[in-house]
Amino acid sequence: MAPPQTKKSDAGLAVPPWHPNIRIVENLPDTKVVRTAFFVNGAAILVAIALLLVLGFQEWKLYEVGKQINAWQRQIDQDKKQSAEAVAMYQSFKQEETKTKEVVDFIASKPVLSEIILRIGLMTPKKIALDGLDFRETGVSIRATVKGAPDRASGDASAYEKQLRADKVLGPMFRDVNLLTMRRNSSTGRLVIELFCEYAKGPKKT
Amino acid sequence: MSNEEVVLFLRKNVISVTCVVLSIAMGVVWYMRSDRLPEAEKVLADKQQQGELLAANIEDSNQLKEQFTALTASNEAISNRMIRVGQLAENLQYFYRLESETNTKLADLRPIPWSPPPKNAPKTNFTPVGFGLTAQGDYAQLMDLLRKLETGEHYCRVTTCTLHPLTEMRGGQIGMTINLELLAEQ
Repeated sequence: MAPPQTKKSDAGLAVPPWHPNIRIVENLPDTKVVRTAFFVNGAAILVAIALLLVLGFQEWKLYEVGKQINAWQRQIDQDKKQSAEAVAMYQSFKQEETKTKEVVDFIASKPVLSEIILRIGLMTPKKIALDGLDFRETGVSIRATVKGAPDRASGDASAYEKQLRADKVLGPMFRDVNLLTMRRNSSTGRLVIELFCEYAKGPKKT
Repeated sequence: MSNEEVVLFLRKNVISVTCVVLSIAMGVVWYMRSDRLPEAEKVLADKQQQGELLAANIEDSNQLKEQFTALTASNEAISNRMIRVGQLAENLQYFYRLESETNTKLADLRPIPWSPPPKNAPKTNFTPVGFGLTAQGDYAQLMDLLRKLETGEHYCRVTTCTLHPLTEMRGGQIGMTINLELLAEQ
């Protein structure tokens, strides 16, 4: 006898289990190819090892830095006395140095006049006769008489002014050279001039 | 979860539990000690700087002793070339000695009264003392006097100087008026 045909609508319905599932899944043995515990333990060990490495590296660095600190401290203790002596000596040296510097500044604060006078004497042309030199705080005033006819003498005076300005020794010492006065001496008829050479550096004070 | 279950769980996961406990412990230690490294590095940098400074001090002072000895000796020589502020007779004697050495004639010689530096002025080791003098002689004699003053026994700077002929005749006697300062020990 042929089995009874089921209705189309009955075929789609789930068939309930034919007996209750009484397994406690947690207590069942792990039957996977690689157990989950292996992964869990592996991960835990990896984390622990990583932390151990980080901690170890930190401690090793601390140890190294500590070692270097001790080495520098030993060096400091060793050099401290000698360095203190050197510093004390340097202070004394500086104190002594101020004395020398004071003298150097004092001498350098004014030009050596004898050298200027000698140079003026050497470079002044024969046509010009010096009547007087006046060294002031700011410069030198030169009074002189120019020989020859006044028309040529004025040209000589102007040339002398330029010569003073361009002189290789005196030129750098003076900021400016100016012909201040030019007049004829009524008794001799010669031209009398006055030049002022201003020092390049102002007067210093010590 | 009962105690038995906890014990069972621990027995079953002894490795992972141990690792977790150790990891926590190491994490705590790492965290607690993480400040120490920057602090130690700062201390190291300070010590290194201090040590290098001391070493540089010692290295720089290699020839300091010899230089200090030389400087002290030269300062002693400088000190011997100073005039003394209060010793008027000895100071004037210097000019009269130059007068006789150069065959010039000192027509006028006067010390310019010395006044101590003001209280708020920077402290100095030496002080300039002023003198005014008028000398007569020929050009060579006066130049000799001026050179001896400027490069002589005492440190001198000429502040003002006037040279003028005393006679109408060229190459005759010249007059020289000088204001100068000699460096003195206070």
